[in-house]
Amino acid sequence: MTHDATAAVNPIRIKDVSGFYGPSRVLDSINLEIPRNRITAIIGPSGCGKSTLLKCFNRLIDLVEGASYSGQIIVDGVDVLGKDADVLEIRRKIGLIAQKPTPLPLSIFDNVAYGPRIYGQKDRAELEKIVRHYLEVAGLWEEVKDRLKTPAINLSIGQQQRLCLARGIAVDPEILLCDEPTSALDPVSSQHFEEQLKLLKEKYTIVIVTHNIHQAMRLADYVAYIYLGELIESGPAAEVFENPKDERTKAYIKGVFLNDLPPEAGERSGSNPEDFGGRDEDPDVQHGRILVPGLSEGD
Amino acid sequence: MPARKVIDRITGNVMAVAAIGSASLLIVVAGALSVRSAPFLLTVPVTDIFLGSTWMPDEGHFGLLVPIVGTLLVTAIAMAVAVPLSILSAIYLAEYATERVRAKVLPLIDLLAGIPPVIFGVVGVLVVVPAVASLAATLGPLGIPFFGTTDYNTGFSVLAGGIVLATMVFPIIISISEQVLRAVPAEIREASLGLGATRWQTIKHVGLRMAFPGMGAAIILGFARAFGETMAVLMVVGNVATIPSSVFDPAYPLPALIANNYGEMMSIPLYDSALLFAALLLMLVVLAFTVLARLILVRIERGMAHG
Amino acid sequence: MDRVTEERAMKGLMIAALTIVVGSLIAIIGVVVWKGLPSLSIEMLTETPRGGYYTSTGGGGILNAIVGSLYLAFGSTLIALVISVPAAFALQDEYLGRTRYAGRLRLALDVLWGTPSIVYGAFGFIVMLYLGIRASLLGGIIVLTLLQIPIMIRAMEEVIRMVPREIKEASAVLGATRWETTTRVVVHQVAPGIITAVLLAFGRGIGDAASVLFTAGYTDSLPGSLFEPVASLPLAVFFQLGMPYPEVQARAYTAALILLVIVLLLSLASRALAKRFRKNILR
Repeated sequence: MTHDATAAVNPIRIKDVSGFYGPSRVLDSINLEIPRNRITAIIGPSGCGKSTLLKCFNRLIDLVEGASYSGQIIVDGVDVLGKDADVLEIRRKIGLIAQKPTPLPLSIFDNVAYGPRIYGQKDRAELEKIVRHYLEVAGLWEEVKDRLKTPAINLSIGQQQRLCLARGIAVDPEILLCDEPTSALDPVSSQHFEEQLKLLKEKYTIVIVTHNIHQAMRLADYVAYIYLGELIESGPAAEVFENPKDERTKAYIKGVFLNDLPPEAGERSGSNPEDFGGRDEDPDVQHGRILVPGLSEGD
Repeated sequence: MPARKVIDRITGNVMAVAAIGSASLLIVVAGALSVRSAPFLLTVPVTDIFLGSTWMPDEGHFGLLVPIVGTLLVTAIAMAVAVPLSILSAIYLAEYATERVRAKVLPLIDLLAGIPPVIFGVVGVLVVVPAVASLAATLGPLGIPFFGTTDYNTGFSVLAGGIVLATMVFPIIISISEQVLRAVPAEIREASLGLGATRWQTIKHVGLRMAFPGMGAAIILGFARAFGETMAVLMVVGNVATIPSSVFDPAYPLPALIANNYGEMMSIPLYDSALLFAALLLMLVVLAFTVLARLILVRIERGMAHG
Repeated sequence: MDRVTEERAMKGLMIAALTIVVGSLIAIIGVVVWKGLPSLSIEMLTETPRGGYYTSTGGGGILNAIVGSLYLAFGSTLIALVISVPAAFALQDEYLGRTRYAGRLRLALDVLWGTPSIVYGAFGFIVMLYLGIRASLLGGIIVLTLLQIPIMIRAMEEVIRMVPREIKEASAVLGATRWETTTRVVVHQVAPGIITAVLLAFGRGIGDAASVLFTAGYTDSLPGSLFEPVASLPLAVFFQLGMPYPEVQARAYTAALILLVIVLLLSLASRALAKRFRKNILR
């Protein structure tokens, strides 16, 4: 009883949020409430604006050239999308685990300590405590405790993702966004990751975007189905999965079972337009050449 | 054998000759310079050459210490000015500037790269030298070490040379540094920003770390360029064969030495050999630095391709 | 200092630095135009210096230097082109690009690219002594050619290497020889890039002083034969700038202005071609 009571208090309110890449609209007036201390899964086919929604949450959308948005996302009374919003504070409060594990080019220790250091934590002993704690919470401590100073890039991909999880919660956020966090992982690592998430919802509000319905069924307390940028249906997981009200939801969920595909725990999501930021398009970088002045081909 | 294959073979060979021939220029040039400097090297003791501070060819004194020190000083000043300004500019262009700003500024930097050295010299004489002279007038009397001066300073100095060289070196360092900074993968940048870091913190802790080798290579290439530049430096550095004790003193860098004296080369014994040795020295230093920088850059390019 | 302030401070420094860098370019153009424009006249551009010795005060212009530089630059660029184009293609994968010594070839060319022009001048001097040539148009052309070859090869190579392998493979799969693939397919793709490389080297050939200092000599007259000394714009500036006669200095400034204008035009042309190149290239 108490659980549901806290969940209902102070939900995150997404109001009329629309997202655009240039002229094309990828999110269409989303209205959604996300309960605290629960896992909310946002499901739907790939490339339908789900990642964009997440990026709006922590304002990473600001980095994408040509992207714009409208609407409000109210967290604790503050509109995250507002012009005056303190973006740095937002990003501390709202963490994001990306689809592809991206360890920073630092040691394991320094990866986890990165966040606290940025916020000014300098005390060595404190940092060591912090790093240990969050590695434990992410379920990675036992595996790496003897090699904290080695480069994070040497970890397996499943470990890297858990490292990113540790790193993400080390800044003590309230909300954790996960963008298809296991799509790059093998089934065993995926399972590990999902278990950690389940433990984390006591403390954090978790929003997970996934195109894997089975994962959503395993993890979610609440579900929102977004198709082609539009919110089709949302509600408690049990209701949506067993008794979908909208025809399109029904079709999507049934479609998974009809196709009889095994749970796609290790599947990579397809090419998402949302994944392309401005920078990856730098033609010189794409070719992997360094051009010297006087010889450059112009920009 | 069909005609097409024959043509292919012949043209292939011709092209190979062109390529190999061009590359072997290196050996030819270095070899020719070595051969012609040999008489000099064999006659004058090496210690005299590198440590002797007297340059009086008609009396047989060929101490290159003065020119070498002069070159090093001018280059050092040039790098001291160029490196901070270039790296800061590169960071701004790579990380903060909008596409519009980049589109306007990057071509300007390229343009700077293409301006003939003699024009840098002209502007140096007209603008930098007088500026240095007045700076010397104010700072000189203060007696700061290395910034002292005698009563009247013309402005033709190591400092003037350094400043002019710095402007010539900007494009090299900026261009390469900017490229390596942009090459930092977007995900890593986003990972840092997503944690709430400021852009500067991201650059400081992650970007610069990853771009460091490339920037190092850029600086090395810039150094090599400054070391070997002749014309622009010649026009502003004073060409007085003493070791400068202050930045306001003139100097006589190696390229200036060669350029100023080639006219009398043949009239004094060993003079031509000595000057050609100076040229060889220049080539070897630039060679060493270029090789070093290219090795670093190739390593980075390979990383980018697999990246 | 908290991190937001730190970022603001650094940003300020960065903008200041960039302003200085761009400012130096503007200052250079400004000074050259300021000094050169007043002296610009038809006479300046169409006459050689009058009065005998080239530092004379008899009036006249810098036609000797303009024409001399053009002869030097065109001559050397043409010869360098003939050598560089085959060489640049030879470095591609289907020719020498995959051999063991390809790396060493590239390194040698890189070193040559970075070698100061005075070293080329010194080498040219040796060659001329050996061949018995005096300082002359021919000497200047030889040295400039050597200077330009590494520059051209590298610039062309950068462009040719960007051609996607699939295009070459598509041609090879049909049974074409390397020569046919190169001349019928690749060349079209890289033509603008080749021209850009040529423009770049031309700019170097017209603006470089240290190499022609020893080898081309200087003169008041228009280029006569290959074996006579020839004037050049950079040296016109260098020799006449320091003279205490305003008329002579005027010639120096005008020469500098002409040089700058030429370089600016080359740069614009390069840029325009590069844009077209970017549009045409298949990715």
